[in-house]
Amino acid sequence: MLEASALFSYYGKSPILQDVSFRVEQGSIVSILGRNGVGKTTLLRTIMGLTDGIAGNLSFGGKDLGRMRTCDRGRLGIGYIPQGREIIPRFTVRENILMGTYARTDGKRTLPDYIFELFPILKEFIGRRGGDLSGGQQQQLAIARALAMDPKVLLLDEPTEGIQPNIVRQIEDVILRLNREMGITIVLVEQNVPFARRASDQFIVLDKGRVAVAGTGEELTDEIADEFLTF
Amino acid sequence: MDVFFNQAFAGLSMASILLMVALGLAIIYGAMGVINLAHGEFVMLGAYSAWLLQSYLGLGILASLPLIFLMVGLIGLAVERGVVRWLYHRPLDTILATWGIGIVLQQLVRMGVGSDSRYVARPTILDGNVAIGGVVMSNYRIFLVFFSLSVLAATWYLLTRTEFGTKLRAVIQNKEISECYGIRTDRIYALAFAYGAGLAGIAGALVTPLVSVTPGMGTYLVVDAFLVVIVGGVGSLLGTAVASGLVGEATALFSFLMNDTLGRVAVLLAIIMLIRFKPQGLFPDKVRR
Repeated sequence: MLEASALFSYYGKSPILQDVSFRVEQGSIVSILGRNGVGKTTLLRTIMGLTDGIAGNLSFGGKDLGRMRTCDRGRLGIGYIPQGREIIPRFTVRENILMGTYARTDGKRTLPDYIFELFPILKEFIGRRGGDLSGGQQQQLAIARALAMDPKVLLLDEPTEGIQPNIVRQIEDVILRLNREMGITIVLVEQNVPFARRASDQFIVLDKGRVAVAGTGEELTDEIADEFLTF
Repeated sequence: MDVFFNQAFAGLSMASILLMVALGLAIIYGAMGVINLAHGEFVMLGAYSAWLLQSYLGLGILASLPLIFLMVGLIGLAVERGVVRWLYHRPLDTILATWGIGIVLQQLVRMGVGSDSRYVARPTILDGNVAIGGVVMSNYRIFLVFFSLSVLAATWYLLTRTEFGTKLRAVIQNKEISECYGIRTDRIYALAFAYGAGLAGIAGALVTPLVSVTPGMGTYLVVDAFLVVIVGGVGSLLGTAVASGLVGEATALFSFLMNDTLGRVAVLLAIIMLIRFKPQGLFPDKVRR
């Protein structure tokens, strides 16, 4: 459903991603791993059209993303949950979630109930400002915002980074539930090898902007982790 | 004492005009970071539109307000689509570009209509005065105060209670993520710019019964409006409202105590002192990002 071939992505004139090819099947979980600065975040930003330019092919559901504006990519059902959450600090929790519905093509502006079942804390804090929530709560809010658009695929950039352990567990469970129960395709940038191994159907290890290794979840061995993921 | 109150009331009505000019300026600056030096010319175009509609179509100011809002709004839209949108990543250049647009607009009016002062009659239903003791308040100026307050309320409603406003506030706070969630930021920017221009147009139309209409009339109003935005703090409607009142009143009262020129100097000195101690303005944005 999401496909890249010979993809280059640029900031200014520097190619950050070089000759990257991958294929994300509908309904699967794909983990993207690698050390800091190898282009994982850039890969997700490239899918959203937030880099300065690309070469090569990038398509989603048969549609060419390359020339498409960022807002139209969102409207295709690509939900982006960036590193650092980037919720809107002066918006209330409700307004933040409402913002997700702006990417809907059916014009509905209601917040799906199941979001509050997944994240009861958001219901409790519905009138608080996003900027006043803790890191873990903000992460839940960012996921809720993406769910409000009724996404076909979620792009999650290190969703458990810098978050207290009990919420890490909860977020991991939610990611799995969204995939298994609702059939949402997940592209996950992750540092946590055990979770990536347990959750993903497929993994891609990036190194210096290129795909170093790719394979199915079980093929993510400790040797690979040692070679490409430890410092 | 009556002289004092009369002066204070005159200040209040100028503050009302200032509020409408400054609101547009504040929205454009707050949303896009564009310091729109052509804003005064939008005011001037509003005033000329009022004059045009009155002398050729016989429309009164009040009847022509919606039309003027649309006309000047469309001009603003054209300016944004034609020039400003190409410069969003070069904020300093927008200052020069909008200044240039301002000069062009002024000269176009000078060429088309001439540089003579024009006069616009105030609406006849607002003739007359209300006198309380020795304080005489013209109905038109009272109307201005209430009208500008409704414009403030309408703007508040637009920004906080409508989908356009929510999208605009989202874009102001995080443009990138707003685009990721389907918001067409270019459209939001264009509409916000047009709305700001439209407000300036209305202010220009409403000020016509108080001042003469000339191609350069916008310049002095826009300077005051910038002062209002600085004093009030960027991104705060309340700040803009309070600062309009302060700047309007301070100008009127200082002019009354000294004379127009010294009054002006005193106002500027007061603002410099204020900015020295509150560089973010009176109502800064306190939320951490």
